[in-house]
Amino acid sequence: MKNKGIVIFLIVLAVVIVAIIAGDYLSDKPDKTGPNPFEYNVDNFKTVDSTLIHYKETKNYRITFEKPVAITVSDENIYLAGDNKIQVIGLDGSLLQEIALTGKPQAVEVFGNEIFVAISNAINVYNKTGNLLKTWPALTDSALVTSVAASATSVFVADAGNRKVHRYNHAGQLLASFDGKAAEGELHGFIIPSPYFDLDINPDGDLWVVNPGLHALENYTEEGNLREHWNNTSMLLEGFSGCCNPAHFCFLPDGRFLTSEKGLVRIKIHKPSGEFDCVVAAPAKFKAEGEAPDIAVDEAGNVYALDFDKKMIRVFEKKQLVQSN
Amino acid sequence: METNKTQNRRKFIQNGVRLSLLLSLGTVSAAALRRVTADDYVWQIDPFECTQCGRCATECVKKPSAVKCVHAYALCGYCDLCGGYLKPGAIARDTGAENQLCPTAAIERRFIEEPYFEYIINEDLCIGCAKCVKGCTSFGNGSLHLQIIHDICDNCNECAIARVCPSNAIKRVKASEAYMVKGDFKKPKA
Repeated sequence: MKNKGIVIFLIVLAVVIVAIIAGDYLSDKPDKTGPNPFEYNVDNFKTVDSTLIHYKETKNYRITFEKPVAITVSDENIYLAGDNKIQVIGLDGSLLQEIALTGKPQAVEVFGNEIFVAISNAINVYNKTGNLLKTWPALTDSALVTSVAASATSVFVADAGNRKVHRYNHAGQLLASFDGKAAEGELHGFIIPSPYFDLDINPDGDLWVVNPGLHALENYTEEGNLREHWNNTSMLLEGFSGCCNPAHFCFLPDGRFLTSEKGLVRIKIHKPSGEFDCVVAAPAKFKAEGEAPDIAVDEAGNVYALDFDKKMIRVFEKKQLVQSN
Repeated sequence: METNKTQNRRKFIQNGVRLSLLLSLGTVSAAALRRVTADDYVWQIDPFECTQCGRCATECVKKPSAVKCVHAYALCGYCDLCGGYLKPGAIARDTGAENQLCPTAAIERRFIEEPYFEYIINEDLCIGCAKCVKGCTSFGNGSLHLQIIHDICDNCNECAIARVCPSNAIKRVKASEAYMVKGDFKKPKA
């Protein structure tokens, strides 16, 4: 009788021990723990009201580059720079031409029959058959060319290393450089904490330069005088946050700004006044903490995003157009 | 003849004792040398794996946690609107307590020159909650990140945070390379 009591006691003890061990093991699983008082949820910033997203991804093309660098669209063709070459791709995704380069490209621009490619901080000019026409003198050692934009009379080069915009003529002669500074205390100049420094020319022929540290887009005359600007620093959808946004921008055919941001990776459209217009691609479309896609627009207003993380060109078309087709 | 035998036995025992002492000394020296030169392992957070869940503040056996925020200044944008310092809905971009994201005010915001601000972590106040890391990673360059500070860490055999870490970001690393600070430590290629 006495032994039976001891046995029952030991069995109960064993069950309790097993229950405690199992409970402890299960309670320590990451998905079994209670609410965390220190959790900081930024999902609200990643979620975008679907009524604000006016574009839809309709196509995407996988690219063969190891390191894609930049994209531009001209004459109904996509010009994709990366590795040591430029690929000319039709809007349907078919590879039309490959142009071998003398080095790794940093930026690409197409104007008329000329392709301007920045390589080792020098502009290399190719014709559309892929022949190297001329190499302009390289910028200084501290230079870092991040963008090129051309008009009928000038070629503008964004130099993030020196925080300057250089203006050349089409013969490659350096005409002027400016750093965005005005009179003392009036304008700060270009603030570029990390190498994201883009510029472009709008359909009216005006030069716009992004001042990423100030979350501003600034319009300059060819001589480098500030004509107008707008900025919107905010963690909300309507503005830009982080140290260097927008990371890339270009213009839609109607003159609105198309912007690409890093941090919370997203593509948006702002009206010519700077006011937020709509979203092209929400953060959910991109890899979390990924790289800001380079962007380009065709004549129909379709958006081409070079997704560096997924290594593909992603095409976004306006929703109304997609639905009516 | 009898005397020689006795002497030989005594000598044999003496030699045996000497040899034993020598062996013991050698073993102790070797063990000490091994202890000095061998690389131990410690716990550390891989900043590229960390999802800033906040469990480092609540699960560490040390109170406050041995996990602290560290700042890779080379990666910092010195932003005025710092996602790691300011609450998303901050009414002003200043040092007001109501604007600060950090629950313990462990980040000091220091003006450098227009429009740059420096952010300095006060390790004594930091509890490793990763709120600032989440903000910096989501909105900025990700220069703020968590590390286990080894003069505080007990180096438990089983790390209480590692048990619950949802992304398995806490790993055993060599004591000679005990920190994985961003900038020096780069994201491994996939």
